[in-house]
Amino acid sequence: MTVTHVDQLDAIEMPDGFVWHPIRRYFDIRAFGVNAYSALEVGGQIVEEHTENQLGHEEIYLVLRGRALFTVDGNEHELGAGQLVFLRDPQLRRGAVALDEDTVVLALGGKPGEAHVVSAWEAMFAAVPYSRQENWDEAIRIHVEALVEQPEHPALLYNLACMEARGGRHLDALLHLQRAVELDPKWADYARKDSDFAAIISEPGFPA
Amino acid sequence: MTDHGYEILSLDDLDRVPYRGSGEVLRPLRKRLGFRPFGVNVWTADAAGDKLIPPHEEDSGHEELYVVVRGTARFTVADETFDAPAGTLVHVKSGTFRVATAAEPATSILVAGGKEGEAFAPGGWEDVHVAFALLEAGNAAAGRAIMQEAATPDEYLWGKHYNLACYEAMAGETEAAFEELRAAIELNRDEVLKWLPHDTDLDPLRGDPRFEELAP
Repeated sequence: MTVTHVDQLDAIEMPDGFVWHPIRRYFDIRAFGVNAYSALEVGGQIVEEHTENQLGHEEIYLVLRGRALFTVDGNEHELGAGQLVFLRDPQLRRGAVALDEDTVVLALGGKPGEAHVVSAWEAMFAAVPYSRQENWDEAIRIHVEALVEQPEHPALLYNLACMEARGGRHLDALLHLQRAVELDPKWADYARKDSDFAAIISEPGFPA
Repeated sequence: MTDHGYEILSLDDLDRVPYRGSGEVLRPLRKRLGFRPFGVNVWTADAAGDKLIPPHEEDSGHEELYVVVRGTARFTVADETFDAPAGTLVHVKSGTFRVATAAEPATSILVAGGKEGEAFAPGGWEDVHVAFALLEAGNAAAGRAIMQEAATPDEYLWGKHYNLACYEAMAGETEAAFEELRAAIELNRDEVLKWLPHDTDLDPLRGDPRFEELAP
């Protein structure tokens, strides 16, 4: 048994302005996805705008504390503590901003009919503070750990290559970037415009 | 569910279903939403001291996360007892004893659960409690329909028949009860015979020679 409080979880500020509190990762829950989110300020993003097209997840967002203004498929809904929005359709664009200080939203998600697979974005989110500190060794370690479970995940490979390029591991970066592009050629376009690869863009083998 | 593929809901709008045998109040969220990826439900207690989470060990193999949504819950997990105010998260693995009561009025807990490495399949236990609540409210036909239509994993089909036997016995439908009991025994005699001797739901059948034949 493990116990914690939502206020004691890590609070990882994401580039889009919302704050991720990793619950699944904290408990190492393997059967389903669950996380909490807060905002930096009233009016700030608390649930990032996104669809679930790639993962195919059904999601529940429950307001644990405060109030949040959800926008789902262009429709706005103000939700208070104890209210939730359930999204069955993964194609629906969803997001929310906090309306009160101290608002916390619990997010639950998974794909119907399939055993849960830990979402690759969790590792990318978890690495953000280390990237910010330019602690490339730790950012790389988090990605490598995630790749053990999903070794052919192109986005994870691409992000790993970014960290490695920034961390001076140029050969590893090239190899992982090449593999990401083999798995999904769209990453070649991203790589050409990505400043993370400034140190290796002229290297032979950089995806053209 | 709206036509738009999403739904807004307050936990206060969920049905209140008395949990058979121990008196907790189940708010069947998963069924209400038609949520498919894993189990998720809410339990509420109105007064401090009321039962909140039934005592169990979750021998289904599910890991469970308890999220205290409102109030304060008093958990006992294994041999440890602690108070958990709103916002507390308690993760318990399968096979560990757990129970909770309310330490404050109007306490609610959301519980999510599933089994690592397996696609979720509803076990039908929520249906049993909803159906018996309907029976107690005088709507036996509606409860029976829920029991009969409950999605059930193949390995637990015996349990579905057994629960229907209990339901029919409590509903006074003796013939149907024996029919379901025979079907359960045919599928898993050993498991049924574990429950049969002390299950009070089946008391209306005791004394009937057919019952003595099934459970000598």
